[in-house]
Amino acid sequence: MAGSYLDRQLNIADYALSGFIRRLGRNSVVVFIFALVIFMVASFSLTTTSLKHSASRLLTTVPDITVQQMSAGRQAALSVTVIEKLDGIFGIRSMEPRVWGYYFDENNGANYTVIGHANFSDKARIAGLGIDFLPALKLDADADPAVLGRGVRENLELGERRTFSLFRPDLSVQSFITVGTFSAETSMVTDDLIIMDLDSARELFGLGPDDITDLLVDVANPLEIDTIADKIGERLAGVRVVTSERIKKTYRVAFGWRSGFGLACLFGAVAAFFIFAWDKASGLTPAQQQEVAILKALGWHTEDVITLRFWESLIISALAFCFGYLGAWMHLLFFDGILFRPLLLGWSVLKPPLSLVPVFSFADLLLIFSLSVLPYLAATVIPAWQSATIRPDSVI
Amino acid sequence: MRPSVRFFFLLAVCACLQAGLIVAADQRLVHADEARHRVVKTVAVFGLSDLCIATDARYVRHFAVSDKLSPFMDHPGAIEHFPTGSFWIPEQ
Repeated sequence: MAGSYLDRQLNIADYALSGFIRRLGRNSVVVFIFALVIFMVASFSLTTTSLKHSASRLLTTVPDITVQQMSAGRQAALSVTVIEKLDGIFGIRSMEPRVWGYYFDENNGANYTVIGHANFSDKARIAGLGIDFLPALKLDADADPAVLGRGVRENLELGERRTFSLFRPDLSVQSFITVGTFSAETSMVTDDLIIMDLDSARELFGLGPDDITDLLVDVANPLEIDTIADKIGERLAGVRVVTSERIKKTYRVAFGWRSGFGLACLFGAVAAFFIFAWDKASGLTPAQQQEVAILKALGWHTEDVITLRFWESLIISALAFCFGYLGAWMHLLFFDGILFRPLLLGWSVLKPPLSLVPVFSFADLLLIFSLSVLPYLAATVIPAWQSATIRPDSVI
Repeated sequence: MRPSVRFFFLLAVCACLQAGLIVAADQRLVHADEARHRVVKTVAVFGLSDLCIATDARYVRHFAVSDKLSPFMDHPGAIEHFPTGSFWIPEQ
């Protein structure tokens, strides 16, 4: 019984495949366009999953609490004396002041992220960070030491030179000497960084001797982070307190279908399926009607013709899904998502070498399958029934 | 070989290729594990909060510590105009 059922299905599949090959030109175009739509949707899905995965792997040690001063709805400088105000909060293991800001390079329009941190001078703490230290030089007293991200070094076109200058707000020049460069493998977080001492950063941005931009709080017990964040908010007026959980949550929801480009991909896919469905539902060509009529005259039942239509749709959608999904994986794995890179980088002058490694997720696979193959099969149900109920004598 | 068998064979080849790609991606992540440790340590030492994906819009460069309204704060009546912004969803 099962054997005869399988034989019957395979026979109909054979007939559907021979029909597919008879109309190879038209069917190839349909498969190509369908595969292209699936490729775009799958590439977007894989890119966002890859970015989320990178964030979850790399941002595991973000500061427990980041404290920033807000003034008139914008971030302002914070005095380092706030450390004394927070000192009494039980559960805080350490607090590190930091100057964090952006430097716009007018020569080439690039934005650099400047970080002044007390840890910069602590050789023990910056050992093993993947910084390629340059041979020690007798430092010029006027030049402050700095470690550069790879992108910054290339953008400044330093070549073999070690010194460079940046402008302070009053347009006077501050000189720096490169003591090291972050290795390429850490570019995912360091490409646009210029790391320097706290005082050098204050001087560069024209901040006062006690000014910092944010305070990084390390909490002994992770379960107490929210409680301590509330206490900090109560003790310091007008501050923004960002917890590590909020940073991680931000990256969990930062990429997805609700973004502008995600919606564009999704609308493109939906529009393509509507066109397919409309094409299918708009009726059969006279040649197709004649084919169905001949099959019925030869003894095929309505059920057989519906099964034939199902196999035809399944062949097209399965091929398109395989080619589209495979293409999306190759796009990410071998070409680093080259089609999406211009969009991801936007107008960035300094272009980080983003490495996207696709991550397999059964949920994503199911989502793409449900968005592509199932609507196509569903769209063919009514036309299949319409074509199957043709009376042979009305066509032949 | 009948056409349907050839068709299923083609699907099987695609499935094997897909499995190979998944394994290759997994291997790449395994090989990048040492680099990951260095990145994680750098994040910890300097208190970094964000991935360096784009450097044009500041709110995209440091997305996690930016206001969701910052794209519209550049000047009165400002609209979000950076292409990178179309890839990101503001936190709710």
